[in-house]
Amino acid sequence: MKKWLKFALIAGVGGLIAAFALGQLLPHLRTTSSGLSVDINDPALIKKGEYIARTADCVACHSTLGGEEYAGGLPMLTPLGAVYSTNITPDKETGIGNYSLDDFINATKHGVRKDGSALYPAMPYPSYQIMPDEDLAAMYAYFMSGVKPVRLENLPSELPPVFNWRWPLAYWQAIFAPEREFKPDSDDEVLNRGQYLVEGPGHCGSCHTERGIGFQEVSLTNAGSDRFLAGAIIDGWRAKSLRGEHRGLGLWGENELVEFFKTGRTDITAAFGAMAEVVEHSTQYWTDQDLHAMSAYLKTLSPAPGKEVTLPAREDTTTQKLLDGVYDSRGALLYVEYCTVCHRADGKGVPRIFPALDGNTAVFSDHADSVLQITMSGGRMPDTPHDRMAFSMPEFSMLSDADIAEVVNYVRNSWTNQASEITVDDVVKMRHFLSIKPRVGTDLPPEFITPPSQGGRNE
Amino acid sequence: MNKLPLTLLAVAFGSLLLSGCDKPAPAAHQPAQYNLVQLEDPNEDIKVYTIPQDTAILDEPNAEQIFYGKRLLNETKRLLPDHVGAAMNCNSCHIAQGKIPLGDPYINSYNFYPRVMPRAGKEVNLVQRINGCFQRSMNGKPLPPESEEMQAMIAYMKWLSQNVPKEQLVDIRNAGAVDESLVADPVRGEQIYYAQCATCHGDNGEGIKDSRGDIVFPPLWGDESFNIGAGLARTYKAASFVKYNMPMGIQVKGLWGHGNVLSDQDAVDVSEFFAHKPRPDFPGKVNDWPTMPKPKDARY
Repeated sequence: MKKWLKFALIAGVGGLIAAFALGQLLPHLRTTSSGLSVDINDPALIKKGEYIARTADCVACHSTLGGEEYAGGLPMLTPLGAVYSTNITPDKETGIGNYSLDDFINATKHGVRKDGSALYPAMPYPSYQIMPDEDLAAMYAYFMSGVKPVRLENLPSELPPVFNWRWPLAYWQAIFAPEREFKPDSDDEVLNRGQYLVEGPGHCGSCHTERGIGFQEVSLTNAGSDRFLAGAIIDGWRAKSLRGEHRGLGLWGENELVEFFKTGRTDITAAFGAMAEVVEHSTQYWTDQDLHAMSAYLKTLSPAPGKEVTLPAREDTTTQKLLDGVYDSRGALLYVEYCTVCHRADGKGVPRIFPALDGNTAVFSDHADSVLQITMSGGRMPDTPHDRMAFSMPEFSMLSDADIAEVVNYVRNSWTNQASEITVDDVVKMRHFLSIKPRVGTDLPPEFITPPSQGGRNE
Repeated sequence: MNKLPLTLLAVAFGSLLLSGCDKPAPAAHQPAQYNLVQLEDPNEDIKVYTIPQDTAILDEPNAEQIFYGKRLLNETKRLLPDHVGAAMNCNSCHIAQGKIPLGDPYINSYNFYPRVMPRAGKEVNLVQRINGCFQRSMNGKPLPPESEEMQAMIAYMKWLSQNVPKEQLVDIRNAGAVDESLVADPVRGEQIYYAQCATCHGDNGEGIKDSRGDIVFPPLWGDESFNIGAGLARTYKAASFVKYNMPMGIQVKGLWGHGNVLSDQDAVDVSEFFAHKPRPDFPGKVNDWPTMPKPKDARY
C-alpha cells in the first residue's frame, strides 16, 4: 500500500474517531442547570404549565390519531424515512417519568435527551430555547402531575445509517441551533409578547419559515432575516407567508387574525390541514390577550423579499359568465359540476360554512400545494365551541389528474384571483405523496353527536 | 475531518436512490359505476352504467340544450321565477345534479317513466312527474310540456341515462331505507335541528341566500318552503332523504361530503319536527291517492 494512502486512511479513521468523541461531548456543553426547585403538586403551577403546553402545542406532534394524548408515535415524514415523536407522558419506563426538571429543560430547550444524546430537530427546540426556565418548570409540573402516564414504547426512526446516528446531530445543533436569548424588537410590551409567542412556544417558523441545506430554519427571528415566516412547504401544504405582502397577511386585519386563531374561521376562509390541527389543539385555548399580541406582532412584519407587495387590481368576469351559463373552459365545466354548490358562482362561498375561493390568500398563493392537497384528500375545519358545527371538504381524488390540474388552475385564476399555473405532473406527485402520508384528525369528518333517544315503535 | 461534506455526500447519495424510482403515470378519472338490470328478464345481457362527467356533454349534438337543462335544474328559482314559488331549486333535493344514488338521482328518470304511480293513481309521464315537483316541492306552476325549458331538462336526464335501453334500469335506489315503525319524537327532533341543521337552514327554518338573493340552503318551513303536497312534508319520506343526504359538507367522501351521520331514529325525529312546521297548502291535494288508502305520514 502506498505510504500516502495508508496515511490518509489512518487520518480518516482517526478523524472519524475524534469527530465521534467530540460528538459525544458536544451535547453536554449545551445542557444547563436551572437551579430551580419545583412543587409538581402545586395546582396553580400545573394549570399554568397546561396553558404553556397549549401555547407550545406539544400535543399535536406527541399524539397519534386515536392514540392517547402525549404518548407519541406520530410519524414525521422526511425524504429519507419517518422519525417518530416520543412518549412524553410521566410513565417511568416508556415516558419521561424519570426526568428531573433539568432533564426536562435540557430536552425541551436544548435538544439533549436524559442520556446525553442529541434530539432530531423535528422537535422545535431551536424555538423553545427562548422560553424562560420558570415556564418550563410550570410545564414540568403539568407533565408530571396533570398528564396521565401511558405505557407505550417509543418507535425507532426509519432513517438509514448515518442519518440515524445521534452523534452527528450534535454538530447540527452546534451549527444551526446555538444558544440564544429572546431579544425583543421593540419597546412595546404587547408586541414583545406577540414576538415571544411567535418565535418561542408558538414555533410558527417550524412550518412557516423555509428550511436551508441542513434542514434548519433559515432564520429564527425577524431581526435575523426577512425570510423569517416568509412561507414554506411542509407535509404537502403551503404554510403561507405570514409577512406583509399581498399573498401573505397583507390583506388580513389584526382582528381577523384573532378570529381565525380563536375559531378556526373567518367570513372568507377556514383553517385546514396542518393549521386546522394548530387551531384545534392550540390557539383556540389561548387568551384573547395572547391572541391579540401575536396578531399585532405578525402585522408588523414587512413584506417578504422578492414578493409582490400588492397585486394589480383585477376585475371579476367569472361570476357573470357562470351565471349566464357561459362555461368557456374545461376548468369552468368542472367547477360548475363539482364546486359551485358550496363555493358558489361568485367564489365567495358561505361565510363560516364554506370558505371563499375568491380573495382567499390560501388559494392564490404562489404555491398551489395546499389547494391541490385539500382538493385531492379533503379535510375539515377546526371544531371549536364558537360555532355549532364544523364542516368538511370532500376529497375529489376520483377526478383524473389532468382534470384536477384544470380545476385548480381555474380557481386560482378566476374572479379576482391571480396565480401561477400547475401541471399534471404536480398532481401526479401530490397523489403519490398522499398515498404515503399518515392521516391526522382533521383529515377525518368532525364528531357528530345527537341527544340520547327513548326510542319507540308504532304498529 | 469536517463532517459537513460527508453529510452532504450522504444526502446527495440518498436523493439519488430516491430519484431512481419510476414516475407514476397520471391517474385517469374513476367515475362511479353501477350494474344494469333488465326490467323484464333479469338474465339478459347485463352491462355496467358509468356516471358521466359533465365535460362529456360537449360531445353531444344537442350539448347546448343539455347544458341549459342542467342550469335549469341547478338554478330553477333564478331562471324560472314565474314557475317556482318556493325558494327552492330542483337540485336542492336532487343532490349533485341528480348523480348520486339515495340522493333522489335522475339516473333512471328517463327510462322509468311513464309509469302508474300510487299517489296519482294513474300513469304519469316524465313531463307530468317534473311538473308535479314544480307544483309541490317548488310550490309553483307547471311548465308547458313542449316548452324549451321542459325539453331541456328532459334532455339532461336523457343524457344522464347514457343510452341505457328503455327496458333496463341502473341498479340503484333513489331513496334509502328508514324504519317506518319508529315513533317520532319531535322534541328530540328540535334539539337535533338546532344543533345540526340550523347553521345552514336557519333558526327559523328560513335557509340562507347569497348576496344576490340566490338560494344556497333552502327554507325548511314558512311561506318560501315546499308545500304540504311535497314528499319532504311527509315524515318518513323526509327522514329517508335526511338520513342519507344531510348534512352536506360533513364527510370527507362523497360529492357533497354528505349524509350517513344520523340514525334512523335521529332522522325520523328531526324530520317530524321540520316537516310539521307551517308551510303553504297544496290545492291539488284532493286528487291524491284516489285508488288506495293514503300513507300514514300524509299531511292531508
